[in-house]
Amino acid sequence: MTVTPEVKPDAPARLRLLLTVAGVAILVVALVALGLMAMRLAGQQGARPTAGMPAPDFDLPMYANYENGLGQQIKLSDLRGKVVIINFWASWCVPCKDEAPALEAIAQKYADRDVVMLGINYLDMERDALAFLATYGVSYGNGVDLQQRISKAYRITGVPETFIIDQQGVVREVFIQPITEPQLSATLDNLLN
Amino acid sequence: MKGKRQKAEGKNQRRGRHPLCLLPFAFCLLFSLIALPARAQTVLPEDQMYQIAKQLNCPTCAGRNLADCPTDTCTQWKQEIVSQLKDGKSGDEVLTYFRGRFGDQVLQEPPKEGFTLLMWVVPVLAAAVLIVVALLAAQRASSRNRKSANLPTASSNQATPANSYETELEQQVKDAS
Repeated sequence: MTVTPEVKPDAPARLRLLLTVAGVAILVVALVALGLMAMRLAGQQGARPTAGMPAPDFDLPMYANYENGLGQQIKLSDLRGKVVIINFWASWCVPCKDEAPALEAIAQKYADRDVVMLGINYLDMERDALAFLATYGVSYGNGVDLQQRISKAYRITGVPETFIIDQQGVVREVFIQPITEPQLSATLDNLLN
Repeated sequence: MKGKRQKAEGKNQRRGRHPLCLLPFAFCLLFSLIALPARAQTVLPEDQMYQIAKQLNCPTCAGRNLADCPTDTCTQWKQEIVSQLKDGKSGDEVLTYFRGRFGDQVLQEPPKEGFTLLMWVVPVLAAAVLIVVALLAAQRASSRNRKSANLPTASSNQATPANSYETELEQQVKDAS
C-alpha cells in the first residue's frame, strides 16, 4: 500500500503569489517613473553652448518700450544674417550695473550695422527691471526670460553672461563675466569684416 | 419679615430684567464687530507676505526659502509680494504670478501635476515596494516555521513511506522467528 501526500488548497501560497504580482507591478511602475525622471534630469544637465556650437533658438517676449522695432516677441532664428549679442542680466546684479554703460555704447556704435543687441532679463521683477533700464539709459531691445526657458537653454550659471552669435546662428564667443567695450568691439569687428 | 423679604427679592428680580442691563453686552458686541475688520487689516500685508514667501525659493541661494533670505534680490521679491497684496491680489494669485514668470523651480514644493507629479509618486511607490517585499519575507518565514513544526518526528505515529516500511520489516522478522 502506498501513501500519497495529501493535497490541500494552499491559501498562503495564493497570498504569496498575489503579493509577488503586486510587488512586481509596483516595481515596474516605479522603475519607469525613475527612468523618466533620470531622462529629464540628464536633459537639464547638458553643456553650455560654446564657440562653434549652434545657438539654441528661443522666443523672447519684449518689454514695452524696449522692442526696438523688433516686435513684441523676437525669435532668434528670425535674426539670421545679423550678428546677435545676447546679454543675460538682472537689476539686482552689481556687475550688470558696471557693464551697462559699455553695452549701451556698443549698441549705439553698431546701430547702423547688422548687429542686434538683446538684453535678457533673468529672475527679476518687471518694475525693478524697467527702473534699471531707465537708470542706465538703455535703448537696445530687452525682454524677459519667462520661466527661465532661455537661461536653461544656454545653461547660464549666473549674471551677467554674454553670448555673441554670428550671421549663421553659431555661437562665436561667450563671456562669463562683465564685458568691456574693447572686448566686444574686437569680436564684432572680426565678425563683420 | 417674610413678606418684606419677598417684596425685596421681587424688586431685585424686576431690576435684573431691566433692558438697560443689556447695554454693556450690546457695547461689547458692537466693539467686537468694529474691531474685527480693523484687526484683520493690520495683520494682512507683512504676515501674509511672510506666509507666501515661505512657499517660494530664493532665486540666488540654492535651497533657501524667500522668507528667510536677506539678500537684495529677495528683498525686491518680498516688496513685490506686498505690493501685489496691497493691489488686492490673493495669496494664490501672487503665487500663480511668480510661477508664471519664473517657472516651477521658484516653488518650495514642486506642484503635484504634470512631470513633477513623479517626484511625489516615486517615493510612495518605493515605499509600497518595500512593504510588499517585507510582507513576502514575513510570509515566507512563517510558512517555513509552519513546515518545520509539521515535520514527522521519531515519536509521531503518522504513517509515512519510511516508517511503514519499518513496520512491515518488523512484521516479517516476527513472522520468520
